[in-house]
Amino acid sequence: MAEAQIPQPVIEVDNLVTHYGDRLILKGVSLTITKGEIMVIMGGSGSGKSTLLRHLMALEKATSGSIKLLGRELGDLSQMELYKLCRKIGVSFQGGALFSSLTVGENIVLPLREHTDLDRMTMNIMARLKLEVVDLAGFENLMPSELSGGMIKRAALARAIVMDPALLFCDEPSAGLDPVVSSALDELILRLRDAMRMTIVVVTHELDSAFKIADRITVLDRGEILTIGTVEEVRNSSNERIQNLLNRRFEEEEVDPDEYLARLMGQT
Amino acid sequence: MHALESVGRGANRFVDAFGFGAHLFFESLYWFVLGRRVGQRVRSEPVFAQMMVIGVSAIPIVSMLSVAIGVTLSMQGINSLEQFGAQHQVIFMVALSVTREFGPLITGILVAGRSGSALAARISTMVISQEVDALKVMGINPVRYIVVPSLVAMMIVLPSLTLWSIGISLVGSAFYVAPQIGTTMGAYFAQVDASIDVDDLAHGLTKSLIFAVLITIVAVIDGISVKGGAEGVGRVTTSAVVHGISAIVLTDMIFVFMTTG
Repeated sequence: MAEAQIPQPVIEVDNLVTHYGDRLILKGVSLTITKGEIMVIMGGSGSGKSTLLRHLMALEKATSGSIKLLGRELGDLSQMELYKLCRKIGVSFQGGALFSSLTVGENIVLPLREHTDLDRMTMNIMARLKLEVVDLAGFENLMPSELSGGMIKRAALARAIVMDPALLFCDEPSAGLDPVVSSALDELILRLRDAMRMTIVVVTHELDSAFKIADRITVLDRGEILTIGTVEEVRNSSNERIQNLLNRRFEEEEVDPDEYLARLMGQT
Repeated sequence: MHALESVGRGANRFVDAFGFGAHLFFESLYWFVLGRRVGQRVRSEPVFAQMMVIGVSAIPIVSMLSVAIGVTLSMQGINSLEQFGAQHQVIFMVALSVTREFGPLITGILVAGRSGSALAARISTMVISQEVDALKVMGINPVRYIVVPSLVAMMIVLPSLTLWSIGISLVGSAFYVAPQIGTTMGAYFAQVDASIDVDDLAHGLTKSLIFAVLITIVAVIDGISVKGGAEGVGRVTTSAVVHGISAIVLTDMIFVFMTTG
């Protein structure tokens, strides 16, 4: 009975280290995300949040460390096992990544067509249902180029949830959107968690959005985790770097004049 | 030292691209043959769609160029052979050179310029707009979804277009040659039939099959190597045409050397 109370981990990242060339991007990141929670990964530009997300989506290989998704160690999976695991995952990319040669409806049907034996009518019904969830009913015959930025993000979300995934990744869902559309997207993410019990990972640098939807927040800075906590815990953190991020203050680095000069002269 | 270094780097890149291309080709074969068994089947609709784009819509331009090639070869042939009083041999010369060389080469170059560039542009755009990443996270193998339909379509369509090009070139040539040397169309084609055999046709069509693989693989390699935005797409599109045509011409030379040398 007591065991049922223990939150079930859906994502377990342990001491993840990654490089791009010689540059160290993630410096030993560890975090656990449990079933049904919305985890917001927050940080400034270059903090490593998008890189972390790409690792969670198995799009990058880490230098060291491990990632477990839905109980499966990513490093141990064969390509076919990884593809099978991906069917339980939905991803909404920052720019939507809708296939420009397909209509909105065809984009949403694509995962169903590739991974199920459903007949065409059932797939179309499911696509329309998901479009209704994201308030895009009736737009299935339009091409992605005919949609606005907010509509593209919502269509991408509809495609991401069409297979009813256990885990949903959203990369900057409200970036570049006006406050009304951004708020509607936040509501939609909350609805998905409540209605479908999805575990959702959102990468964003939009503070209002993060505070509105997050069950917990991971704050990343320069490739390391500053804190993981609830909205209140993050707001009340005494960490200066976190407060700088929350108050949008630019943090000045201490500069070694010799090193700076060498950098300008292209010697490092 | 700089020149040596850049030659070394160039050679390195070529070997890299060659290895990657071979891997891509065999991976495509794997998905085509075994895809259904592992739940990643290659669908026929995109293959037919690509066949329409690569083949059917190229018929008018292939026909026009083929007629021009047939007539030009005939004019040059009659002009040269006339000096030896052997202008009747022009039919033999045109039939053989069109079937073994010009048909496959001209069609290959045309398709590389038309469809190789389009494929490179499509793939590079998909890379930039994260569509390839989207396929991967949806559990769809991008090689199976993007490359295989194009490769299969190209391998069916290019030999077919080549066959068409050979036929049209000979018809074009017949209209010029028959009145020039005072023979009938029937006699012209009877001599064509006597001049070429199955081996000659097989030589031309085998080359066109190799060109089909080269055009597709080169376009894919260029497409996925895109860096930057729209400018990058333009760059890889141009390089796909240059690399595709270079690969065709060089392979043609090697093929001819190996089969006739």
